[in-house]
Amino acid sequence: IFQSIAGKANLEKSDLESALNALKDRLMVKNVAEEIAVQLCESVSASLEGKKLASFTTVSSIVKKAMAEALERILTPQRSIDILRDVHAAKEQGRPYVIVFVGVNGVGKSTNLAKVAYWLQQHNISVMMAACDTFRSGAVEQLKTHARRLQINLFEKGYEKDPAIVAKEAIQEATRSGKDVVLVDTAGRMQGNEPLMRALSKLIYINNPDLVLFVGEALVGNDGVDQLSNFNQKLGEFSTASNPRLIDGILLTKFDTIDDKVGAALSMVYISGAPVMFVGCGQLYQDLKKLNVDAIVKTLLK
Amino acid sequence: MVLGQLGGSISRALQQMSNATIIDEKALNECLNEITRALLQADVQFKLVRDMQTNIKKIVNLEDLAAGHNKRRIIQQAIFNELCKMLDPGKPSFTPKKGKTSIIMFVGLQGSGKTTTCTKYAYYHQKKGWKPALVCADTFRAGAFDQLKQNATKAKIPFYGSYMESDPVKIAAEGVERFKKENCDLIIVDTSGRHKQEAALFEEMRQVSEATKPDLIIFVMDGSIGQAAFDQAQAFKKIVSVGAVIVTKMDGHAKGGGALSAVAATKSPVIFLGTGEHMDEFEVFDVKPFVSRLLGMGDWSGFMDK
Ligand SMILES: Nc1nc2c(ncn2[C@@H]2O[C@H](COP(=O)(O)OP(=O)(O)OP(=O)(O)O)[C@@H](O)[C@H]2O)c(=O)[nH]1
Ligand SMILES: Nc1nc2c(ncn2[C@@H]2O[C@H](COP(=O)(O)OP(=O)(O)OP(=O)(O)O)[C@@H](O)[C@H]2O)c(=O)[nH]1
Ligand SMILES: [Mg+2]
Ligand SMILES: [Mg+2]
Repeated sequence: IFQSIAGKANLEKSDLESALNALKDRLMVKNVAEEIAVQLCESVSASLEGKKLASFTTVSSIVKKAMAEALERILTPQRSIDILRDVHAAKEQGRPYVIVFVGVNGVGKSTNLAKVAYWLQQHNISVMMAACDTFRSGAVEQLKTHARRLQINLFEKGYEKDPAIVAKEAIQEATRSGKDVVLVDTAGRMQGNEPLMRALSKLIYINNPDLVLFVGEALVGNDGVDQLSNFNQKLGEFSTASNPRLIDGILLTKFDTIDDKVGAALSMVYISGAPVMFVGCGQLYQDLKKLNVDAIVKTLLK
Repeated sequence: MVLGQLGGSISRALQQMSNATIIDEKALNECLNEITRALLQADVQFKLVRDMQTNIKKIVNLEDLAAGHNKRRIIQQAIFNELCKMLDPGKPSFTPKKGKTSIIMFVGLQGSGKTTTCTKYAYYHQKKGWKPALVCADTFRAGAFDQLKQNATKAKIPFYGSYMESDPVKIAAEGVERFKKENCDLIIVDTSGRHKQEAALFEEMRQVSEATKPDLIIFVMDGSIGQAAFDQAQAFKKIVSVGAVIVTKMDGHAKGGGALSAVAATKSPVIFLGTGEHMDEFEVFDVKPFVSRLLGMGDWSGFMDK
């Protein structure tokens, strides 16, 4: 459909438009948020305007190539976090490394916390789980079951306690007993729920964890963008710290349920700049992977 | 709240078109593009949106419209009808009757809100004088039975489940049998979360359905779901006879367009919305008032019941 305009002087915006529109549609079909798809196409367009088209190339191929590069750049983390290295560094300082799992309701925080615990165990790291979802029915028993199956210590104070305090006591207990890592489970909350976002910001402020891990599901549509930008904004706004802690990394779950609709990964990273540190791809402990940037880029453009 | 922003964008697009001096191809296209954009931002399936655009263009064939016809009104009506068509499968869902035993089975993707919604559904009916009961046929998720038990206890609703038995089909059948004997008129069966990519999970769902013979199967869907909604909902419908949809987590910022996809895919109406984590955060859903609310325009009522 896209005619070759090889030989023409310089690329103009209008030359690029139809190829970019087709690409934008493709991204949206793959579940990239509308706003992100539009922004990406605009920046690709801007990067190509005025460029000369080499002979024997088509506009659609040059657009696709530029988009692939842009996607690759976005998905490749700027800041890299090496949890295993940082765990050992914390150990040398005589304190446990603390990860807090945050996110909206039902995305897979508790299940993937258990998967991360299992992964750490495989690296001979001792773990304690902290049951700081003191709200949702069955949340404590859920974590208790995982702790029992994995033979991991669980710190819990039942329901209706202040989760910030439970986390603090868990960290103290882990320090006393020489645990390497504390994994803090929190209750799911909607990004717009102010009291709950305040409570989360308090938990993070009081305990200053090593890693604030945002758990988001690959199934999410346009709301994924809103979730990440609001968690970051609210954590900043409601914190009493002068330099508030925001989202450090992303754990993308339910990757096994979306076929080729992998767009949420892109939306989440684009909007937050945080790296995808783990990908959950099933309901078993071993179903935790690293993000394959190449595969995502290929799938998005196919 | 619900889909409200989407409604706002659509009414603005219509308003802009109304402001145009002449309604030609260009004005119509601009209006439709705006609406398309709003629907895509709300997570309606891409193909449904494109089909809707084509349908409206077909209905509103500008050249065929004789002079004197009110073009604006015809366009507005076409948009309203198309939106209703997406949300309204044409036939109402099975409605349980008080005093007569009905079995309702809840299914859906992992974490969509089934267990929470089962209790809400039971509580809603209990307040209206029904005798509901809850059966936990989720033997997979850690803490699933505790979750249902704690919810049921809070709402003072009888429940059935087991910590030892690992076969959900067996538990479901036993639970339903027990509550039939106890003369409960609304027996609600909660099941594990599952997805179409795992055939064994779908087979388990089929077996639970076969063993309990539900009068209604409700597909529970997270209101923030994106483009995967249609395929997943359709796959559920292929295995069991889904008859209604409940959309959860509508207290968030999501515009809930996935609901439109699920309705289209299951040919079943949305009957309730979940609007919070608490038992009473549950709203009855009705298509037509919803669409007119969605479009944020008072005069839409004139289009109804046509
Ligand atoms: N298919 C699939 N299911 C998953 C994955 N991760 C989690 N789940 C399932 O998603 C459901 C919800 O998981 P939870 O861990 O309870 O989610 P949560 O975020 O802790 O939920 P709340 O604490 O209630 O907000 C469970 O049925 C999990 O088994 C995944 O990677 N793939
Ligand atoms: N804010 C909000 N949260 C909800 C709503 N409905 C359910 N939730 C929350 O969503 C999370 C998941 O709900 P569950 O009822 O455990 O979901 P499920 O479908 O039974 O999950 P699985 O059994 O693991 O597949 C919990 O944290 C619920 O409290 C709602 O309408 N609004
Ligand atoms: Mg949890
Ligand atoms: Mg459940």
